[in-house]
Amino acid sequence: MKNENLIIYLDYQDILTFCSGHLLYKEAYAYEWENENVIHIHLSKKCHQFGQMYPALFAIDNKKTMQDKQFRFHVFIEKILPEPSVSVFVDGVQSDFYYIPDRNSLFSRNKGLLEKDVLKSKKAMIIGLGSFGAQIAVELAKAGVGKFSLFDFDRIELHNLARHIATVNDLGRLKTDVVEDAILGKNPYALVDKFPIDIDKNEELLSSEVGKSDIVICATDNNSSRLNLSKELVKKNKVGIFGRAVTRAAGGDVFRYRPGGACYACLIGHGIISKEEISSVQAGRLSGAIPAYTSDEDAQAVVQVGLAADISPICNMMIKLALLELSKGTESGIQTLEDDLVYDCYIWANRREYNFKNWHVFYQSGADRTIMRWYGVKVHKLDGCPVCSTDIILDTGQKGEYHDPENSDYEGLALV
Amino acid sequence: MKLLRIFLRRFIMIDYKRYKLEKEVFQKEKLPEAAYRFIGIGTDNPYLRIAARTNSGKIYTLHIELSSFPESIPEVYVTKMLKDSNGKNMSGASAQMHTLTSSGGWTRICHYGYNSWTPMVSLFKIYVKCRLWLEAYEAHLKTGNTIDTYLVHQS
Ligand SMILES: [Zn+2]
Repeated sequence: MKNENLIIYLDYQDILTFCSGHLLYKEAYAYEWENENVIHIHLSKKCHQFGQMYPALFAIDNKKTMQDKQFRFHVFIEKILPEPSVSVFVDGVQSDFYYIPDRNSLFSRNKGLLEKDVLKSKKAMIIGLGSFGAQIAVELAKAGVGKFSLFDFDRIELHNLARHIATVNDLGRLKTDVVEDAILGKNPYALVDKFPIDIDKNEELLSSEVGKSDIVICATDNNSSRLNLSKELVKKNKVGIFGRAVTRAAGGDVFRYRPGGACYACLIGHGIISKEEISSVQAGRLSGAIPAYTSDEDAQAVVQVGLAADISPICNMMIKLALLELSKGTESGIQTLEDDLVYDCYIWANRREYNFKNWHVFYQSGADRTIMRWYGVKVHKLDGCPVCSTDIILDTGQKGEYHDPENSDYEGLALV
Repeated sequence: MKLLRIFLRRFIMIDYKRYKLEKEVFQKEKLPEAAYRFIGIGTDNPYLRIAARTNSGKIYTLHIELSSFPESIPEVYVTKMLKDSNGKNMSGASAQMHTLTSSGGWTRICHYGYNSWTPMVSLFKIYVKCRLWLEAYEAHLKTGNTIDTYLVHQS
């Protein structure tokens, strides 16, 4: 007799771990998705796993243990070499099962397009785990990036839910924990380091983590953190990808720092970018984007977040630039992008509003600037840049103000 | 190794190179050396004290926090609680008066807006802007007009 109506998943890595441990048996955990007939059996207890948990038992070829009614689920390893031979019993009845692949074969589907062995050893540092950073983390995990360093001191709040990967169940949790779970959900073998701290107050740690990373994603909502990070990128010769939305996510921009090139302070100094999107009153007050003299009522009015769909294209560009940088020098299926994505800054409009109000309607726009198309900008190093130049030239007031981001419509800018 | 760690900075703050450059600008702009003092450079709490003389001859001391300068806009205070033309303390944040919420009993000047800040802005430029604010403040005392009558707003 065999169980026909159950779908059982067994972690192949667990089998290997058990076999190498010279154990006769070990208690394990089975999770049943209630009323769905789906069961996952794991050697170790899973954090934040949903579904009903039952005790399970891993054992070496000893069916006598089956008498033990304490365990509904039994995993028997009958032979270890050359390959483990395994059977699963549920309530004493043998059942078919599938394997969750082990470490080495989990991302074999990406073969050809991205070099999985290369990405597995790469470390992505992600600063800011809001709607941008969280999504990017998960996408990089899907692509096979194996190591992460996550920075955010915030917790999930109600106003995050509409655009964030977090669910209602995550309310109150640290964003670093939520994103770690999401990464491990895609790649259980990813190595995740979490830092629920403010990078602006931990220069030493920021510096050492930048040094250990292969790419740095800056997805924060304020310039002081971007500038602090830029200093470290310059010092440590690391590539950084910066991305953000502008007012009400009417559009956004993505900036890539490459050692020797223009840095984020150069970008600000050139006056290329426009006003920041303020995603919450709290964040706006903290960064100073909402001045203290603005009443709470007025502050609520300036906090106008765009749609998750407005954020996605900007994240998408950040992810592609990151994967391109991480795959550099290897044979990858995205190599041709190296000839396309040659710009330092990329600009995107979601709607013809605010900074983009003078842009052409999409219909018959021809070569005119319009919505939902990427425009690339070459950014030159700023003379005397306080972050990346050796000879700093300070603004002593002679030149007047650089730029008024309120009214910037990217005029005079060579968008390609 | 232990000794070395003492010199590693936990907080991000003005670095020595920038501090020297700022001092050079003051010298170039012929600010008398007795008029300013950098305090706590290399510690977690660096700041600048600078005296500003208005056209009327009054002298005010400005206190400029440097703990996150130049990545963030530095907090600037007049080292006392100023009164407005009605004799009221200027302790609150006010768009008309270009002030932010005071701290430690000192009036805080709003001198730069978030969106116009760049890390190239020198302390000298901030000093000049705050001197202009003080001129506007004295004009306010005389006329009762709010400070934004005299100063332009920044985003
Ligand atoms: Zn630069």
